[in-house]
This record gives sequence, C-alpha cells and structure tokens, in this order.
Amino acid sequence: MKQLPIVIGSLNIGFLQTLKLFFVTLIGSFPLGLIIAFGSMSRFAPVKYISKLFVWIIRGTPLMLQMMIIYYFPGLVLHNNIWGSGEMGRFLAASVSFIINYSCYFSEIYRGGIQSIPIGQEEAGLVLGMTKSQIFFKVTLLQMIKRIVPPISNEIITLVKDTSLARIIALQEIIWAGQSFLKGSHGISGAIWPLFFTMIYYLVFSGILTVLLGKLEKKLNYFR
Amino acid sequence: MKKLIVALLSVAMVLSLAACSKKTETSGSDLDYVKQKGKLVVGITDFAPMDYKEDSEEWIGFDADMAKAFAASIGVDVEFVEINWDNKVPELDGKNIDCTWNGMTLTDEVTSAMDCSNAYCRNSQIVIVKADKAEEYNSTDSIKELSFAVEAGSAGEEMAKENGYTYNSVEQQSNALMEVAAGTSDAAIIDSLMAYAMVGEGTDYADLTYTVELNSEEYGVGFRKGSDLVQALNDFFKTSYEDGSLLECAQKYGIENSIIAQ
Repeated sequence: MKQLPIVIGSLNIGFLQTLKLFFVTLIGSFPLGLIIAFGSMSRFAPVKYISKLFVWIIRGTPLMLQMMIIYYFPGLVLHNNIWGSGEMGRFLAASVSFIINYSCYFSEIYRGGIQSIPIGQEEAGLVLGMTKSQIFFKVTLLQMIKRIVPPISNEIITLVKDTSLARIIALQEIIWAGQSFLKGSHGISGAIWPLFFTMIYYLVFSGILTVLLGKLEKKLNYFR
Repeated sequence: MKKLIVALLSVAMVLSLAACSKKTETSGSDLDYVKQKGKLVVGITDFAPMDYKEDSEEWIGFDADMAKAFAASIGVDVEFVEINWDNKVPELDGKNIDCTWNGMTLTDEVTSAMDCSNAYCRNSQIVIVKADKAEEYNSTDSIKELSFAVEAGSAGEEMAKENGYTYNSVEQQSNALMEVAAGTSDAAIIDSLMAYAMVGEGTDYADLTYTVELNSEEYGVGFRKGSDLVQALNDFFKTSYEDGSLLECAQKYGIENSIIAQ
C-alpha cells in the first residue's frame, strides 16, 4: 500500500508528458494537414507531386524510425544538434516527428472530405461571382468538417496510444514510467501491477475523448 | 511520371550523400565546451545502486553522487537524462549527452566506440535461477541445458553467446529477472552488483538466487572520442580516492568491496 502513492505520482508525471505530446501534435498537425491537402490537390504539377511524394514517404515508413532519424540525424551527421541536450530536446524532436506524421494522415482525410463535396456547388459559387477562397470557407469547409469528424476521431484515438512510441528516443511518457517499476525504480522492482494502472489511464482518457468526439459529431449534425 | 522518377532519384541521392559523410572526431576541447555550456549532461538509466530515485525525484546512487561531485569540481551544473541504453553511442556523438555514467561495463565494443575513464568498480556476470534449483545448477557445465534470458546488447548477452547457451534477448536486465520469476526462462545472466541488490531473501525476488559467476569485468565512464573530459575525470577519481571521499560514497551504497584503487 505504501507503494501506491509512489507509483501514482510517477505515472502522473509520465501521463503529463503523454498529454503534452498529444495536444501539441493535434495543434500542430490540424493546420499543417490542411496545407499538405491543398498541396496534393494543387493544379501546379510540381507542388502536387512533391506533396504526394512527401505523404507517401511519411505514411510508408514507421513513425518510430522517423523519430529516431529526426532526433539523431542533426547531431550525428550534420554536427549541429538542433534539439539541444536534456529532456526538452527529446520532447521537441518527438513533437516535430508526430506533427509531420499525423499531418500527412490528416491531409488525406481532408482531401477526401473536400473532394466529397459535389463540384456543382463550386460551379454555382463561381456563377454567383464568389472567389475561390470565399467558396472554400463559406461553402465547402462547413460541410467538409462534419464529414471528416468520424475518420479524424479514429486518428485521434490512435494518437493517444501512438504517443508511447516516443520512448524510443527516451521521452519519459507514461509507459516508460509504468515499466520502470518492472526494472526497479524508487525501490520498487518486479512489479507488474503498475502496468494495469497505466492501462486505466489510457482507457479513461480515450473514453473521455470518445464521449467528447461523439458530442461534437452530434453538434455538427446540421445541413440534414 | 518522369518528374516522379526525377524526384525519387534526388531523394536517393540526398540519402546516399548523408550515408557517405564521415563521422569526425570532436574538434576542440570537450571540457571547454561543457564549461561554456555550464552543465554536464549525464546519460543514465534507472539502475540501483548506481543511478536511481528513492523517495524524491532526485537522482541518487553511487554514480549519481560521484557525477554531482565531479561536475562541482569542474565548476558546472549536472543534469541527469534517462536514455535508451541501446542508443548510448549516437546520444554521445550527437551531443545529446556528454557522458554515460551508469555502471557501464568496459567491453571491447564500448571502448572502441567511446573514450572511457579508468575503471572504478568491479562487477561480474552472474547466473540467476530459482532458489529451489540452485543446487542442481551450480557449475558452468550443468547450466548448459537451461534457456537463458539476457538483456539485449549487454555483457550478459555476450557471455551467453560465447558459451553457446540458448538464450532470448529482452529489453532490460530486470525483464530478464521477470522472465525467470515468471518461469518463461530457466535462468538469467545479469550484473552481480545488481543481483546482490535485487535477488534473494528480503528483496522483491525472494524465490530467486544467484549461482555461477561467468566472468569478471570493470565499470567505467564513457565520453566522446577524443574528449579531454576523460583526463579530468581520471584526475578527479584519483584525488577523491586519495582523500577518501570516493570510498565514503561507496560505503553509503554498500559497494565498497567492489571499488578499484585509483
């Protein structure tokens, strides 16, 4: 029983890192995803192909590998460690990798959403004398948002669990914290029960997200 | 299609260029670099009794205390960073950390990849089995038939390989202990310093025990190649051994019998 507060304290610290990484990734990748989506729908061929190539590379390789390269490449090969030493550097490198990776997935969801809006609406807008950006923000965007909520929710829930990949560059997230008691930490070793507590953190958090995203979906139930 | 091929080729070229660029030795004084930065970043793992936490969030242990004292002696702050032990060489070379100070066994692999301090502590690779089977497996011959769990990339794994044992590599030494406790492996090979602290009566692994010692080895501190911090640390070890503070620190963590004279 004496061990419980120690484990909970350690898991809380780890979970804070998980949450930080989760929210930073979402904040960064929502807008970046939109930019990549526009890139891959561009009529200017080089932009289109570069965007598509980028999405292919990022989606086609494991996030774990990308993170290791992003973290170690600058210091090892370019001899300029842009991340700095210490824990902040690990967090920054992990955030950048996650934002890049998730924005590629988001960009394809956005593209699906945008292209699912009938072309007739855009044509109607043009006839009425609206500019392209007016059409996007006033006509397409609202309809697109409600259509992409279910697939985006999927990615968000996956992201909760993917944050644990950051342990490969030794970011001390919650699984790192939970697993440390297997090896021995704070005088507790060989304990597997902290892992069950770790599971509860994930379950509760993704449960809350599921409820919130469900509510959002209901709220966006317009244009029916 | 042509453009796509051009783009693909250019990516391949960039990647191969990157692969060609040679690792250069650190130029200039590492000591000055650390002093100018104002802190020594020490790469560690949670490894009692060398680097660990007890009640507070502060790192303690023999290595942690010595690292603090060393940093103070060259007039900089110390920062402990937990790393993935598998990645210790890239962490050092990429300047993500300045040294690895965590009961590191001086193997050929280690000494060829980094510049290391003088050895300061003795250790051995020791076999862990269930306590009720200890009598049966107390010689190097009898343990041949067992299946072992060892930490990937550790000195224990090297021993298992050398002796031709059947083994599974796991992520950490503690996972190897778990394997034995759970019965998924018959035996584990881990550091004796760790075994003395973690296995046997009065510990979390009361039903395990240690039997055969497979080798003996020494611990050192790792730095980047060509670093002048090595000399600074060797000097520090020497003075603190002579004034008794090194042994005093070792006594605090119960490893005074394993310390090597400087």
